[in-house]
Amino acid sequence: MRWATRAGVHVDRAACAWLIRRCLDPDPRFVFVDDPDDVPADATAFDMRGVELSHHGGDCSFETILRRYDLDDPVLWDIARIVHEADLADDRYHAPEAVGLDVLCRGLSMTADDQGVLAVTGPLFDGLYEHRRRALLVGRNPA
Amino acid sequence: MSGRMEWVLLAYRLPRRPSTPRITLWRKLRRLGVVQVLDGLVALPADAATREQLEWLAEEVGEAGGQGEVWLARMASAAQERALAARMAAAVTAEYEQVIAAATAAASQPEGARRRTVSRLRRDLHQIGRRDFFPPAGKDTARIAVEDLAATLPAPATPRPAAGPAQTVSTTDAPERQEAQP
Repeated sequence: MRWATRAGVHVDRAACAWLIRRCLDPDPRFVFVDDPDDVPADATAFDMRGVELSHHGGDCSFETILRRYDLDDPVLWDIARIVHEADLADDRYHAPEAVGLDVLCRGLSMTADDQGVLAVTGPLFDGLYEHRRRALLVGRNPA
Repeated sequence: MSGRMEWVLLAYRLPRRPSTPRITLWRKLRRLGVVQVLDGLVALPADAATREQLEWLAEEVGEAGGQGEVWLARMASAAQERALAARMAAAVTAEYEQVIAAATAAASQPEGARRRTVSRLRRDLHQIGRRDFFPPAGKDTARIAVEDLAATLPAPATPRPAAGPAQTVSTTDAPERQEAQP
């Protein structure tokens, strides 16, 4: 399937792309556009103004995708907390990890193009998932 | 600042009632550090992040039954731009002054309270820094005031027990970590 989002990928879009590959579409193709009008007809758009899979009611796009596809894995919701604060920093959640994640993604977008950013953030989110999974199991941050 | 910069503007209209969306929006705008140009028109220096934040808020305005548009703009005169930047700097200066006052007042607190004040003020500085587009002189003074307060605290005891790093692999970790072994 084709998925479209805004060029200049930052943390929410990187997290959504990882989530799409992990839970919705094992072989996704991502298209990056500058304007919502440029979204190809056969592509599902995300994290863009005016589309379904985007910010709604104060949620970031990652949270919207979890809701729309009924993904109730608590580890994903724990990651959503971090992505939300990294993206919006509105103090809805306590997520001290968010500051670091935001900086890492901003830095990456300065040295890599959008496909390159996703190539790095994919394994990064795999690792974050495993970390949060173990943290939820043992009730504290695992070493 | 040589030459004029690009600004991103959010023009919005929201119904008077219910008032909750207006209050939520205003809180979010304040957190972003916008400067109010007119009633229903706010501005930020344009970059990828500020533009995106205002676009999301425009979307929220729409979801709340209002109308929001995002504009990119340049001011027609450098003097006007300096005046706008000075208003924004004055707003964060006031916030830095609160931090300095809190840090000074905390000097006489007992150790536990001082430690909590240091964490809170460091968080505040981080938050203010996000909306500090034209850093005023007070920024460094505030940072130094908080770090001076932190320097009055004894070094914290390490929260971890004396277990060496080799012992930190728990049994639940073990299966995934065996691939490195022959």
